[in-house]
Amino acid sequence: MKIGVLTSRIRVEEKLLFQALEKAGIDYERIDVESIPFLLNSKTFASFDAVLIRCVSHTQAFYASRVLESQGVKVINSHHVINICGDKLLTSLALLEHGVPTLHTVVAFSPETALQTIEAMGYPVVLKPLHGSWGRLLAKVNDRDSAEAILEHKKTLGGYTHSVFYIQEYVEKPGRDIRAFVVGGETIAAIYRNSNHWITNTARGAKASFCPITPELDRIAKAAAEAVGGGILAIDIFETPEGRLVVSEVNHTPEFRNSIEPTGVDIPGKMIDYVKKVAGGKA
Amino acid sequence: MITSKKWPEGRHERGKIGVLFSRVRLEEKLIFEALAKRKIPFEKLDIRAIAFDLERAQGFERILIRCISHREAFYSSRILESQGVKTVNSHKTIRLAGDKLLTSQALMDKGVPTLPVILAFSPQAAMEAMEKLGYPAVIKPLNGSWGRLIAKIDNPEAARSILEHRSYLGEELGSVFYIQPYVEKPGRDIRAMVVGGEVIYAVYRYSSHWITNTARGAYTEPCPITSELEELSLRAAEAVGGGILALDIFETPEGLVVNEVNHTPEFHGAMKAVKVDIPQKIVDYFLQGG
Repeated sequence: MKIGVLTSRIRVEEKLLFQALEKAGIDYERIDVESIPFLLNSKTFASFDAVLIRCVSHTQAFYASRVLESQGVKVINSHHVINICGDKLLTSLALLEHGVPTLHTVVAFSPETALQTIEAMGYPVVLKPLHGSWGRLLAKVNDRDSAEAILEHKKTLGGYTHSVFYIQEYVEKPGRDIRAFVVGGETIAAIYRNSNHWITNTARGAKASFCPITPELDRIAKAAAEAVGGGILAIDIFETPEGRLVVSEVNHTPEFRNSIEPTGVDIPGKMIDYVKKVAGGKA
Repeated sequence: MITSKKWPEGRHERGKIGVLFSRVRLEEKLIFEALAKRKIPFEKLDIRAIAFDLERAQGFERILIRCISHREAFYSSRILESQGVKTVNSHKTIRLAGDKLLTSQALMDKGVPTLPVILAFSPQAAMEAMEKLGYPAVIKPLNGSWGRLIAKIDNPEAARSILEHRSYLGEELGSVFYIQPYVEKPGRDIRAMVVGGEVIYAVYRYSSHWITNTARGAYTEPCPITSELEELSLRAAEAVGGGILALDIFETPEGLVVNEVNHTPEFHGAMKAVKVDIPQKIVDYFLQGG
């Protein structure tokens, strides 16, 4: 069995995954996505039983997985999953279509309609770029002045991500949210991310702590993973003031360095177990 | 405000149709006229004025997507289809035809003759790809129309400066490079339009510039729909999911090859060359097809 790991930057996560591969005695090769040209309609990756996609950039992850899948290579995650999870609007629609509780979202295609929508929804609301990670360019809009200013900035930024206005209800969180890891249809670990800031991202200083996988959390995490197509995923979940769980986002190439210690779960080991299953045609 | 209920809500009005647009060009005016001529009531929907609540259907049975921007066309059709509205084209077709890599891959997967492609994810790998293909090479953005930002690259010096410029143009243009060999054309290419399962017209586009786009000054003449051209066009349209599509086709010594597929085609240039009532054909398919 031979596994490829397609990477761009080697973070702690990738190092841990290499270690897990070595520990499992699996023959693997690290491929830097930026180091080689990809000829379409060729069989250059045919010798791999599966390729794990760990590119930091969503654009690279998506197109590389698409090209590899055309060669008949098993890819984790699949390009369908990467396509949906890398796009907040496609994620919202997938969750809604599968009946998974999520946040109320309205989309506008002009700053004028976006402003009217925000006024109609009532403050605060959250504006998100369709693509992006680590909470970048997420804006909590508390009043009309800030709505006008942020919309003008988006208009000036222009281009790809900023011409579509993705407007979401703001949920008052209890100083934390939940990140659940779903691997091959199983909820393997969950953490609370505690932060004084409304963006509860560990890359932005949130502290991770153990979160018990209750039946309710297990159910919603699995349902969200299935809605986007399954694989190796991290689900961001909010606890609402009414005590319900709602899915905020799904991540297709999750970071997990801060989640191993508080949960005691060998997250990279579990991920590699799943990759091995896929490569052997057992998942 | 938080809801999780599934569509449909059953609020679609039977027969209610609309045309979604961002700017009313000549094409949209002609489509409106064709609908009016058929005495079909319809709504003109300006995408910039609509708030798309993901959980509230817009009440239409069918919507013709005529947005200029690929993003607008794709996301609006995706949302509308999620709410049970039939859109023409479908979001799947728009997604594939609006992205050059996805188009190439779809054509190759179905064995439709097209040009070779190398994808590179760094300027260094792009340089290596062009050395492999030989010069001149063509580098294209994955999204875009009217030949914008398509660069013919004649030598390594040109390659380096174009790649450097792209690295300043943001994630999408600077992190993925779509590279093809340059095809020497006989001063023209072919544009064929497929509506449903029919090739409704084909024209030659003549230009002294290597980019043969009517928006860039090419002029059109009728092109006979040979059986080779017809078969290739229908197969290419089907490969990206079918619907209303315009295909850009090159004549090469090895035969015809598909260069690009357009999901929201302009056609005023072709109307000067062919007698087909293009807007009427579009409207017919929109009302009955799919």
